[in-house]
Amino acid sequence: MTRRYETVYIFDSALEEAAINDKLTRFHALLTKEGKGTITNVSHWGKRTMTYKIKKKDVGYYVVAEFQATGDLLPEYERAVKLDEGVLRYMTVEAAREQPKPVVTAAVAADEDELDEEEA
Amino acid sequence: MRRPAKTCPVCESGARVLDYKDDRTLGRFLTERGKILPSRLSGMCARHQRQLATAIKRARQLALIPYIKGHTA
Repeated sequence: MTRRYETVYIFDSALEEAAINDKLTRFHALLTKEGKGTITNVSHWGKRTMTYKIKKKDVGYYVVAEFQATGDLLPEYERAVKLDEGVLRYMTVEAAREQPKPVVTAAVAADEDELDEEEA
Repeated sequence: MRRPAKTCPVCESGARVLDYKDDRTLGRFLTERGKILPSRLSGMCARHQRQLATAIKRARQLALIPYIKGHTA
């Protein structure tokens, strides 16, 4: 059964963009083989300061990949990602059924004012 | 005295799902030390509070938000 998944990769920021793209192509080849999966979207967030150190690095290069695949492809793919030294961390999750949108609104801001009063 | 019914900030915004990649939104539901804000204080409905907890835990793993704010190893 095909499901929609998404993976967030955190690459070592010392890597060149070309090297990162090479790795991504290699990983994604594992997901698309035998026509069992398709990559739907790859978005590069670029370099970003991590809120805590991972493998003694402060900055990571974030990439989010969305794909559809059958679950049996995942173990081999995740093994390949895990073994790669250039990947500081990765996380694969089943994608949300609905497209999430940011919640930052006036409603939330107003609610926060109310909160402050309550805590005081 | 009865307090007025609180409304869920996520329902009110029209969104149905919380995204673990949206660290700005998640940041609004953390205490100053980075703990998950209880629904008692945020007015969050049960469904969204559950989603929030999962989203925050995922975001922490990806170093988008800290496990403990102000902690330096």
